[in-house]
Amino acid sequence: MDENFQEEFTQIIKFEPPLYKQRYQFVKDLVEKYKPKKVADLGCADCSLLWMLKFCSCIEVLAGLDICANVMKEKMHILSPLPVDYLQPSERSLTVTLHHGSVAHKDPCMLGFDLVTCIELIEHLEESELKKFPEVVFGFMAPSIVVISTPNSEFNSLLPRVMLYRHPDHKFEWNQAQFQGWALETARCYGYSVEFTGVGHPPTGMEKVGFCTQIGVFVRKYSQTGESVQSEKPMEAVYKTVFKAVYPSLKDEKYLQNAVINEVIFTAQIIKHRLMSKREEYGDDPERKSKFQPSMDCFSDYLGKVVVEKNMEPFISGNEVHIPLTTIFSFPKVNRLCGTFEKLCKLIAGKVTLSSDGSAVMFNIEHENEEN
Amino acid sequence: SQVTELFSRTRNGEDVKITVTLTNELPPTSPTCLQFYNIIFRRLLKMLNLQQIGRNYYNPSDPVSIPNHRLMVWLGFTSSILQYEENIMLCADVSHKVLRGETVLDTMHSLHSQVGEERFRDTCAKELIGLIVLTKYNNRTYRIDDIDWDNSPKSTFRKSDGSEMSFVEYYRKQYNIEISDWMQPVLISQMKRKRGNIQGSVALIPELCSLTGLTDKMRNDFNMMKDLAIHTRLPPEQRQRELGRLLNYIQKDDNVQKELRNWGLSFDYKSVSFTGRVVQGEKIFQSGTMFDYNPQFADWTKETRGVPLIRSVPMDSWLLIYTRRNYDVANTLLQSLFKVTPSMGIHMNRPSMIEVDDRTEAYLRVLQQRVTPDVNIVFCILSSSRKDKYDAIKKYLCTDCPIPSQCVLACTLSKPQTIMTVATKIALQMNCKMGGELWSVEIPLKQVMIVGIDCYHDTVSGKQSIAGFVASLNQTVTRWFSRCVVQSRGQELVDGIKTCLQTALRNWSKWNKCLPSRIFVYRDGVGDGQLNTLVNYEVPQFLDCLKSIGTDYSPRLTVIVVKKRVGARFFAEIGGGLKNPPPGTVVDTVVTRPEWYDFFIVSQTVKNGCVAPTHYNVVYDTSQLKPDHVQRLTYKLCHMYYNWSGIIRVPAPCQYAHKLAFLVGQSIHREPNLMLSDRLYYL
Repeated sequence: MDENFQEEFTQIIKFEPPLYKQRYQFVKDLVEKYKPKKVADLGCADCSLLWMLKFCSCIEVLAGLDICANVMKEKMHILSPLPVDYLQPSERSLTVTLHHGSVAHKDPCMLGFDLVTCIELIEHLEESELKKFPEVVFGFMAPSIVVISTPNSEFNSLLPRVMLYRHPDHKFEWNQAQFQGWALETARCYGYSVEFTGVGHPPTGMEKVGFCTQIGVFVRKYSQTGESVQSEKPMEAVYKTVFKAVYPSLKDEKYLQNAVINEVIFTAQIIKHRLMSKREEYGDDPERKSKFQPSMDCFSDYLGKVVVEKNMEPFISGNEVHIPLTTIFSFPKVNRLCGTFEKLCKLIAGKVTLSSDGSAVMFNIEHENEEN
Repeated sequence: SQVTELFSRTRNGEDVKITVTLTNELPPTSPTCLQFYNIIFRRLLKMLNLQQIGRNYYNPSDPVSIPNHRLMVWLGFTSSILQYEENIMLCADVSHKVLRGETVLDTMHSLHSQVGEERFRDTCAKELIGLIVLTKYNNRTYRIDDIDWDNSPKSTFRKSDGSEMSFVEYYRKQYNIEISDWMQPVLISQMKRKRGNIQGSVALIPELCSLTGLTDKMRNDFNMMKDLAIHTRLPPEQRQRELGRLLNYIQKDDNVQKELRNWGLSFDYKSVSFTGRVVQGEKIFQSGTMFDYNPQFADWTKETRGVPLIRSVPMDSWLLIYTRRNYDVANTLLQSLFKVTPSMGIHMNRPSMIEVDDRTEAYLRVLQQRVTPDVNIVFCILSSSRKDKYDAIKKYLCTDCPIPSQCVLACTLSKPQTIMTVATKIALQMNCKMGGELWSVEIPLKQVMIVGIDCYHDTVSGKQSIAGFVASLNQTVTRWFSRCVVQSRGQELVDGIKTCLQTALRNWSKWNKCLPSRIFVYRDGVGDGQLNTLVNYEVPQFLDCLKSIGTDYSPRLTVIVVKKRVGARFFAEIGGGLKNPPPGTVVDTVVTRPEWYDFFIVSQTVKNGCVAPTHYNVVYDTSQLKPDHVQRLTYKLCHMYYNWSGIIRVPAPCQYAHKLAFLVGQSIHREPNLMLSDRLYYL
């Protein structure tokens, strides 16, 4: 955050939206374009980029890595699932993990990612770390795409408060030629193509200084054949996991079953309710009758159609209300959740009271409304 | 004093020297430290992966779902660390959060299909305003204060940088959320004072909000509450077990233990155990007879049967109004009343039986034509629980034409197996409404006036607050003077209460031919945050009021703040197990506060779950009575609520004040006619 603050502080040039937001938006746009399933953010700091990315519905695995555990821990709980995620589990599965460790070390937990982002990371690396960095990220992790952003030192002349570097922890700041030279060499070495761009446009007339933040997008040239690379030697875990959150998802049988049971019983209750109130008529209250209008609710229209179809009609016999599973299955929500009728039967088996032949949900209405 | 010097360098390369001087040490019992302990404890709960909803933390991994009503219940904990009599202690309790598996938009859809277009907006306002919602995208809770039907997700709002953006666009950009229904209205939530006194409102999209808690409608749904109670009403043993689990988690979790060690804090993992007292049961007096009740049930419904009332008011002239459908019900009721009233000593004539159409106007017309000043009471049998009809009847008979009234739903009277019980209860209730007295307990203090005050805050319009004020009129505290104050927003309730106290004193002196020498005020409806205002502002106003009566008049005054919503739960160790403490249990050591004169009384009994103690805080006292006597008097007053032949949770004047404020706030909306003020017409 310190750096973000720094750049906004300059008086001559002010970016709108702030530059850090532009960098995050750049990553988000990239995610929208390539739809990666597994994304890792190296140097994730206070997790704000990860927090933005957790809302991207294509991502199923999110990982963050930082050399400083405390800065991650401070706000890591923003990555936890929300109560609503439990109430309405989503279709996709999502696991968020935070690791404490260095980008100069290899750890098997970083294998198999589609996108690795290194936003304002490399300029914090000591020379020895920077040397190992390409081998770890491009050689070992070898994701399909790598994004690297770093300050463009040519722009510093426009930032009057910057003395040497934009942040005291920066070990170096490269000009465009330096960054591109390093990037091209790295790309060549590990079989990637690289394209250069950036965020933070220079003022008119000064275009040649380039973007304030320079960005390289690396795309792996060949699809992964590197089983051999990974299985060369069994790796030992060197990172320490500091946080892990598994989001509730309908892919998890437990949540799916719960959702289906809830939906089945609720749907059946509505049908029962309508069935019973039809039987009772509205005669007891003229005020209600006069104001009662055919509802515009699509739900009731839908119900009207379903009930007309043969063999699917719910009925009351004695103290029992029977609501055929086929009727319930024809409701869009139930249908979408289960996919097939067999799956519906399987999921609710033993959890919902059914008629003796198992074809209908059954309610006993004998004891209802007793003390109302 | 001790000085530490530190050196650092800013981003711009300037060297900075930081000097830290020890000026003061916070004792572990200082308010700042206590606040700090609470923060740490809440952090521990977070570390245990509990989810914060509102103020408390809940366990999301093991929810109980009640699909019949689309409800989900999360088990969680309330926690507060405070300085108690001798020690700093953690007061923890099991808490249940009711969550709803549907969005506000889902609820709006089903309301629409239930009530139709015409009443849709009103119904939404009634059902939704005041509820707490969770959003899909952050971990905050919001209260719905209003529904803006003129706006939709397509509407734009001004962002902090000044640019305009539509909600649809905002949620898409910020959270990748696509709003599917672009026609829905927008919910408005008023922000409480946050950073820098900024007051504003937040707009929320119904589709993105999940409901929490229960609506009034759900609370009235007997079946739903029954289903819920199974999960939420934990008996003492089970409650203790759940709490034990929390402590166990804390004890077993390495990270949590490390955190505690880092702060140098530790816990005793046992709950505190101490000795309480059980005051003796009261004898109930009812015209010449006296009886005890079974302390286990704290109820004398059986014992009172067939015993004449202290004062019965004859029903010489009364009206019975019903619709054609309910003709039979009306007759059954009448027969039953004729059977039960003689043994109570109530003389009853045949009423004027009046048949009406089931419309509000029809009821009102009959009332206007047939209610004359000599009518004792008006009885209306209603065929549905439609609030507008009830409100109209009550409003007319409480303000324009002050006559006691009794409204009963036809379905309550339609079950042959319960009709006698129901008729008995109705007869007693009507008798109280006409100024009758049922039973009494011994009140050893002489010349005492007991006052009860409670408030009702209108959640729907948010405009009115109503204070109910009730004061005893006689030595046996069986007759009450009742008034209320209707206050619009921004006014202070206490000005009105002062007037009430003055008239109450005048009436007391009329009844007793002198002024009371002792006054006890039981003040309910005070939030923790308002306690100081009460002590610094309201109590001096009471004193002023007493002074204004006469220079030589200085009665002894005791002001007691009554609090029903307390976190503390007491379990009695009986026969090796944990049970609910018996009614009359008084606790005034260990878990009370050193800075207060306070105590707990468990007065009522419960069938399921844990009994909740009531907290009493004596904020002003010149009575010179021993605490024991104040406690005994308080407990005695819990026996005097005439709508329940048993002991209740609060002193009767508080419950009367509550009933009055509720009726006025819900149905009447202005001060009832003072002609009624010497009767419990609002029961």
